[in-house]
Amino acid sequence: MKQIMRIGKSRLSVIAFLILLVAPSYASTPEFEIEIRNHLFLPDTLTIPAGVKVKLVIYNRDATPEEFESYELNREKVILGGRKAIVFIGPLAPGEYPFFGEFNPQTALGTILVVAEADAAK
Amino acid sequence: MLLNSVVIILREVLEAALLMSVFLASARFLQTRNRWAISALVAGAIGAATYGFFLEPVSDLFDGVGQEVCNAILQYGAFASLAAVAFHIPRRANNLKSSPATIVALMALTVTLAITREGAEILVYVSGFWNVSDFFSAVALGSVIGACIGFSVGVLIYYLLLAQPIKWALPTSVLLIHLIAAGMASQATRLLIQADWIPAAGPMWDTSSILSEQSLTGQLLYALVGYEASPSGIEVVAYVGSVLIVATAYFAGKFSSQPARDEME
Repeated sequence: MKQIMRIGKSRLSVIAFLILLVAPSYASTPEFEIEIRNHLFLPDTLTIPAGVKVKLVIYNRDATPEEFESYELNREKVILGGRKAIVFIGPLAPGEYPFFGEFNPQTALGTILVVAEADAAK
Repeated sequence: MLLNSVVIILREVLEAALLMSVFLASARFLQTRNRWAISALVAGAIGAATYGFFLEPVSDLFDGVGQEVCNAILQYGAFASLAAVAFHIPRRANNLKSSPATIVALMALTVTLAITREGAEILVYVSGFWNVSDFFSAVALGSVIGACIGFSVGVLIYYLLLAQPIKWALPTSVLLIHLIAAGMASQATRLLIQADWIPAAGPMWDTSSILSEQSLTGQLLYALVGYEASPSGIEVVAYVGSVLIVATAYFAGKFSSQPARDEME
């Protein structure tokens, strides 16, 4: 009985340790918002820090569905009309990463601008 | 509008068309009837309609990454089913008198899962223009053209496989099955990275300057072997691991069905 208790406790502490390990990374994930309006991305250029994972929240304000897509970011996701979607990107090296709306690729164009922390502070 | 729809539909149809052509060719070499294909198309269409209809609640699952998780499950499912096909191909080839029921069911399941995922996206795209009468005819026409091109590529691959010398035909199909399966598993892994269920990391390499994913060849290779210009380490591991899993399944099937087992070692 005692042994079982001990195993239970050690497992609990392992779980607690894992949660502690993971928790800060979740808390520090920066969040950025993009809107889709009249088949355009607003803003069409988004500046994010290099080397960290970033959470993009994309609101589709149009009635029609859109697909957020980027070959450079390796991302694609359908966003239904009037809905929002969450896409995690990065960690990325500094540079320009174009993205587009696959369903309206002539107008729905944008760029993620990734800058090093030092440049971002300027 | 027209050209957009051609490209979008083609991209979705291509993967399923390539998968089907490889299966149809393999089934010919294994002397199996190809009636399963009709059932798979119907089941896939039902699956796609259902998934497309419920995409909104599905997308909201798991804090807004339900779409990625659901697509990844469909992709991993298709991968597992493909690995099982790879196991049964040599067993059937070694004993053509055995019942083809299992391999036929597995092929149908793989195609159904692939069509469910890709078909749902087509439905969401086309239905978005349902009420926009200015665009709808262009979108509808473009979709039909895109689907026809995808279908033609499938037919071309099918006849290219059939035109091979007998000695090479089945091994070529098996090799393609390895690559298609690995492409599916690495795509599913990428979806889980996008959902933040698997830790993200920077790309291992970048070959986009040599072969862009946007190019026609890039698109074709993406559909066929899961080509990715800048994959992360985990995707590469998933790809290589998947090839090894399918190869293990294939050789397990090969050696378990051969009477002269000792000679092979």
